[in-house]
Amino acid sequence: MADMIQCPVCGADNPQNSDFCRNCRSPLATGDGMDSIQPGQVPTKKQTAELEPILPQWLRDARDAARQTEPQSSESLQQAEKTRPIASQQDLLAGLQSQADSNEEEEVPDWLANITGAQPKPSREEKTETGGVRWVEMGGKGDFPQEKSEEGAEMPSWLADLQSSQPQPEKDELTDWFRSEAQPQKTKPIPPLAHEESIPGVPADDTPDWLRQMAEDAGEKPEEPAAPASLPADTPDWLRGLESQQEKPQGEESAFFFEPIPGSSEAPTIPPAEMPDWLKSPAEAQKPAQDTTPKWLRAESGGTQEPEVPAWLASEDTIHFVTEGQPGEPAPDAFIADLPDWLKAAAPQSSIFDQPAEQQEESKPASSPETPDWLKPFQEADAPRQEAAPEPGDASFESAPAFTPDFKTGESDLFAEMPDWLSNVVEPPPTDTFSAPAPTPITNEDALAPSDLPAWVQAMRPVEPAGISSQPSFTGDQTLESRGALAGLQGVLPAAPGFTPTSKPKSYSIKLQTSDEQVAHAEILEQILAAETSPVPLESLPSLGASRGLRWFLTVAITVALFAALLLQPQFFSTPRLVPNEVLSVQSWFASLPIPQNAPVLVAFDYEPSRAAELEAAATPMLDMLVLFRHPAFTFVSTNETGSLLAERLIAQPLFAEHLNNNGFTYSNLGYLPGGQMGIRAFARETAGQFVAIILITDNAEAARAWVEQTQGTLNAAPVPFIVVSSAQAAPMIEPYYDSGQVTGIIPGLYGGAIFEQYNAGRPGTARSYWPAFSLGMLLAVLLVLGGGLLNLIVGLRERAAAKGGK
Amino acid sequence: MAVSLDLVSGVLSFLFTVLILSYLIGDNPLFRVAVYVFVGAASGYIGSVIWWQALKPRLWDKLLSAVFSGSLADQILVLIPLIGAALILMKISPRMAGFARPSMAFLVGAGAAVTLGGALLGTLIPQVQATINIFDPQAAAARNIGAAEVLGNGAVVLFGTVASLAYFHFGAQQKSDGSMRRFGLIEIVAWFGRIFIGITLGAVFAGVYAAALTALIERFSSLVNFITLLRTTLGF
Repeated sequence: MADMIQCPVCGADNPQNSDFCRNCRSPLATGDGMDSIQPGQVPTKKQTAELEPILPQWLRDARDAARQTEPQSSESLQQAEKTRPIASQQDLLAGLQSQADSNEEEEVPDWLANITGAQPKPSREEKTETGGVRWVEMGGKGDFPQEKSEEGAEMPSWLADLQSSQPQPEKDELTDWFRSEAQPQKTKPIPPLAHEESIPGVPADDTPDWLRQMAEDAGEKPEEPAAPASLPADTPDWLRGLESQQEKPQGEESAFFFEPIPGSSEAPTIPPAEMPDWLKSPAEAQKPAQDTTPKWLRAESGGTQEPEVPAWLASEDTIHFVTEGQPGEPAPDAFIADLPDWLKAAAPQSSIFDQPAEQQEESKPASSPETPDWLKPFQEADAPRQEAAPEPGDASFESAPAFTPDFKTGESDLFAEMPDWLSNVVEPPPTDTFSAPAPTPITNEDALAPSDLPAWVQAMRPVEPAGISSQPSFTGDQTLESRGALAGLQGVLPAAPGFTPTSKPKSYSIKLQTSDEQVAHAEILEQILAAETSPVPLESLPSLGASRGLRWFLTVAITVALFAALLLQPQFFSTPRLVPNEVLSVQSWFASLPIPQNAPVLVAFDYEPSRAAELEAAATPMLDMLVLFRHPAFTFVSTNETGSLLAERLIAQPLFAEHLNNNGFTYSNLGYLPGGQMGIRAFARETAGQFVAIILITDNAEAARAWVEQTQGTLNAAPVPFIVVSSAQAAPMIEPYYDSGQVTGIIPGLYGGAIFEQYNAGRPGTARSYWPAFSLGMLLAVLLVLGGGLLNLIVGLRERAAAKGGK
Repeated sequence: MAVSLDLVSGVLSFLFTVLILSYLIGDNPLFRVAVYVFVGAASGYIGSVIWWQALKPRLWDKLLSAVFSGSLADQILVLIPLIGAALILMKISPRMAGFARPSMAFLVGAGAAVTLGGALLGTLIPQVQATINIFDPQAAAARNIGAAEVLGNGAVVLFGTVASLAYFHFGAQQKSDGSMRRFGLIEIVAWFGRIFIGITLGAVFAGVYAAALTALIERFSSLVNFITLLRTTLGF
């Protein structure tokens, strides 16, 4: 077994070349790079004054206040400086004590209050009660556990149970488990505590099971020879273990949980009634007030050497340390092994190193409310070990400051700029100063044997691959903090080894794993989407290929035919012989002509200038005949703006000019009649019965309907002939009014004008001159329509035949 | 040498006729010039007609007459259309177009009433009566129409009317295969209605062609007359 190395944590044997324990994965050897500060090591001095500007304002104020209060130290403080290191004025946390003592209400963050123990309002009465001894770290007597009514509400019940001597009715869900695990621990000889009788209401089952389990594991070790008193039932097992281990050599104590016992006990300053009962052990009766400095902080500060103590820790003469160094004590690995992992992980790394016994005894303060909650049990567990504390009546105890200046002046300046525990982490002192064995740094890895862990904790253990040969050293982590209270410090928060990647990240392919069916479906979906988004061309009728040629052909054919007919005036186109009924009705009306001579006749011009040629050719023969027979007095009116001009154009024809000049023909042009149908109706009502006949000349069926509808009532009251001279395009729509008898007769376009001209006794007429061309044009149109239809039929038959042949 | 007005009008008529006929080769600047001239001349003429034949005699002259006459009734009667016209003029501004609503409402309401009354009394009822009277022997005798012709004409008119109306009956039922088809009898009657409608549209097209042909003949005749005038004037 000479080649085997015993794990300082779990005690398992490991090969000599192993770096980590096979059982608990704890580091076995402390190499150069792996070593952190060793017990008794003195931090290396560093000049960190350049970091002063980056400190928070509150911290700088605290430091300034500390500098101011420094000269006010008493003589006893100077005396205590000989044996007690005190924080220098340049310490980062210097001045917090004085600041806390002041009446200024400066809000202190909870986390800072938990660490420093600062209270918003330290009462003066409490100071007087302590006989002028100011409690460490702004703590007062009232801050101690006897005032649980205030603190109990802010801490978990299970922690409160651990600390409080009062029974706590609240129990968490793990209480039973803890209790069951703690049953065997009862048989373990544990140094008795004096306060166990004073906790009548606390059942023994309140001890957490996991603590009991750990205590039970500890029970496998050699029993402690002395067990002055048994711990109360609700005392955590690990605390019992601590109690028992206190009887062991100091080498077995943990530097983390066993703070140096103060040199001068503060017990006399603490009334026994105000102390938790379970702390009232015989040894504690003489224990002075404990330092409220976190253990891990004090552990890092160096124990008896205390190279640099923050000012807020050493500004007052409240803590007295005894320089009872016990160098050479081994690290309490057994105790560390009993600790849960999460507690080790929560504890600062820099506080896990062993310290000499004298350091532990020096820095062992009494538990105070300022102590962080999670550290109170540990502090209280240390209380039984203070049996070696000096006599209560020691004069130097009351006057000694909490921390004395570093007796090694050469190293005291280091902590002027940095907390000592931080400097320890950055630069561990040499280990050969003390005869204590090399401390085994407790990493975040499991410090407990797997068998000591609860099942649920084991399930949470990280599993590291076997390929990892070395773990990163957190002491080598030189990360520079850039923000917060630790800004500018390097390597303060080392990365734990457990946070390193345990394996190579698994690579995942970005290629989509799809089946053929899914690919087919995706393609179908893609096609559907593409069809929806792509424009669909509108189906348009195929345009005629020869449309331009056909247009020019029709143009040339019609133009040539019309010009030829106009120039040649062929006589083979006879005048119309078939007289329609509507034209015949007009002829019948003219045959009787029931109107007197010079009777007023209303003539409405309601057509566009583009239809003037047709309508003039249709209306002129009828009007000429009427003028010849009755010499009526025409009244021209128009619902079209150009109607009055067209009326003048009609009368200006040579035919009417003759009547005007020779027959005494007269007319009146009323011009434009605004208002549309309303204007027509108003005009008809105003002129009802004044006209013996109404002649409408229009090219629009709507205009004819408006005149018929709006004059119906007035005209029907006194039946007035209503003759419509319409364009050929409007005649079919006006025909129903003729069939209904609302219109006397219709002269449809050039055809009707040509009929009337046949009965005007050979007077010249426009219709007759247009008739040959009109007849030729109509014949040509008939031929073109028939030819086009025949051609379309032939093409259709050929396509059908081709389609059948194709099939 | 005095230029006769007929020659000038004939030249302009010939020129604009050629410009309009240039549309045969497509839209061209000559055609546009002729159209712009016609539109401009027509707009100017219409504007002058509205002022001289509508606004001045019916509003301005009456307003002056009412003002100088001192008759309150005349002034009120003139003031009402004046206010109505002013409100309608506010439609020029989109922000003040709402003020024209009363006048426009009055015009639309009055126009609708006149139109509906005229359509009902002047078209709908008389046309229904005319369709019924086709079979009236007395009316046919008054028009010297025989009984056989009355029945024949009446039957054609009646069937044509029903068939044409059936064609515009779009009510249909869904078949088992999802297709929509009209009732069988309506489908048959509607097919005949298509024939009547086709004949009617053919007659309308013939009338439109006849009217256009007459206008073209008149233009060609004017060109011939202008050339004849030139020959006689210039001594070709």
